[in-house]
Amino acid sequence: MSKPYTLQELLVIAVAKEIHDHENVILGVGLPTTAGAVAKALYAPNATLMMESGIIDFEPLLPLNHIADAHSCRGFSYATDLFSAFTMTYRGFVDVCFLGVGQVDKYGNLNTTAIGDYYKPTMRLPGSGGAADFISYAKRTVLTMLGGNFVNKLDYFTSPGYLEGGDSRDNTGLFPKGTGPTMLLSTKGLFRFDPVTKEMYLAQIHPRVTVEDVKKDVPWDLKIAPDLSETPHPTDEEIDFIRCFAPAMSAGRELSMELTIVNMMKMLKA
Amino acid sequence: MVDVNSKIMSAKEAINRFVRDGDALVIGNYTVGSCAELVYEVIRQGRKGLTLYSQSGIFDVETIVGAGCVDRLVTTYCLRAGGKKGGSAVERALNAGTLEIEDYTNFQYNARLMAGMHGFSYIQVLEGAMVTDLFKKRSFMGEDKFRVIKCPYTGKDHLTVPAANPDVCIVHVQRADKFGNAQYWGALGSVAAAALASKRIVVSCEEIVEHDVIQSSPHLTLIPAYRVDAVIEVPWGANPTEVLGYYNMDMFMYGLFMMSDATADGLKAWMDEWVFGCENRAAYIDHYIQKFGSKMLDGIRAKAFYSAPANYGSAFTSRWDREGKERNMGMTLPEFEQTLKERGKLYE
Repeated sequence: MSKPYTLQELLVIAVAKEIHDHENVILGVGLPTTAGAVAKALYAPNATLMMESGIIDFEPLLPLNHIADAHSCRGFSYATDLFSAFTMTYRGFVDVCFLGVGQVDKYGNLNTTAIGDYYKPTMRLPGSGGAADFISYAKRTVLTMLGGNFVNKLDYFTSPGYLEGGDSRDNTGLFPKGTGPTMLLSTKGLFRFDPVTKEMYLAQIHPRVTVEDVKKDVPWDLKIAPDLSETPHPTDEEIDFIRCFAPAMSAGRELSMELTIVNMMKMLKA
Repeated sequence: MVDVNSKIMSAKEAINRFVRDGDALVIGNYTVGSCAELVYEVIRQGRKGLTLYSQSGIFDVETIVGAGCVDRLVTTYCLRAGGKKGGSAVERALNAGTLEIEDYTNFQYNARLMAGMHGFSYIQVLEGAMVTDLFKKRSFMGEDKFRVIKCPYTGKDHLTVPAANPDVCIVHVQRADKFGNAQYWGALGSVAAAALASKRIVVSCEEIVEHDVIQSSPHLTLIPAYRVDAVIEVPWGANPTEVLGYYNMDMFMYGLFMMSDATADGLKAWMDEWVFGCENRAAYIDHYIQKFGSKMLDGIRAKAFYSAPANYGSAFTSRWDREGKERNMGMTLPEFEQTLKERGKLYE
């Protein structure tokens, strides 16, 4: 029996396992960078970690603040520019990339731009950043959804998943065949895409969550894998690594922010 | 004595001379080490009607939009403070109808500047985006946000974007010389393209160095002197963001900003204190230390991790060897001149 872990630690490990040895990996901020560090340290020592700002082949010593954070490593192997980071993706040199989700539909199409009307948004989200181009040309894309929503129709279509499902993505002729999202991780479960219909289905469920809990958030009739399994508990080695490397990630955003603000107030008074 | 070759001046003078109302202004930094002092000076001087290009908007875009300097924003990414319950100056301005936004992907945005930098009128971008709302939903760029053309070689449809040549780029770098040679290292992002696409370039730097330093490390020079209009030495010029080799991100100051940015009143109060309340960066740092002590800033100073020097040396630096003989022809200068005379090469 492994030692107690947090949900965040379980999520990081689930994402880290999507990185295989010798792969070229584009990391996004937050959970994916921590996952990248875990993978590099524990399972994929020969993976090349990259960021779109042009920081290529780095070993993070700290969790990164953002995708241009060269302060979190001690040098790196290749300093290129953003333009070249995308053209190398276009040419097929990126095996896997990681994107966050605002809204997602059943075929893995994404909205990270706006909720409500685009021109007068109820909520302005960050925007595309690199997302639309990465999911178009990376061989695989892993989606991490910590605060987003499943919807039938996106308020704004930022980044292409499998479009209308089936062969529709490949048939446009705009994307390398076989590319697209391969996994979506939420705080309740892990989803994959049917190889034929390209519809998202529930493949793994996190501890303490029921299928009904998952279905409650999904507006379409979510299909469940016949061999649905529980997301594996992290090992002691995995837990120790994350807690030491990125303690705030172990705590989760809310708790770590709360503790940080309390500490800031204390510093201000002193 | 006035040094006619020097472009060194204050931020106040540089913004006054080179940034005008109605300009297309590009913030050259991308996510890291933003030119905070130059942005704040644009705000303090009350520029209006700007079209702002920003690859990735952080506190810089929030403050300049919050101050009402910007009518149009070309971007790929906006900051949001306080999560779902929070907000941003960009969101508030969109809803108030005082700001129009044109969304691109990171690559498309960078490609527009890359085309501008190289003098092309348009450039090919990655065609996958044609199926998305980035392509379909357009704002002030209208038909010219994207055009689809046929590749003359393959017959395939190519997605293209028009070149961007902003009127002026403001950018912060690690170091520069007085002539304007600007050296930047770390996450290269789109810094070079943003600067070199622009008609005027205002550079702030952590330190001004001797020209010798630049000459022995030209691989670090992203912006050459002949393109630069102004150089401003501004230590801590990117705070609360970070500059590689100088200081880390200031989580404390960034935290104060983020707590304020979620509402218009909060942002205004923060700017009254930290932008309008400090006439320049030196005053800002003084105010910071007076209010919070120097512990916070001292704690984020970078420790050194130097790049291995590249050897720019060569075998010799003169055509004449130690015996005073020309290295190929094997004669001294008097012998050489004698030969020129004998061969009838010299005009009397």
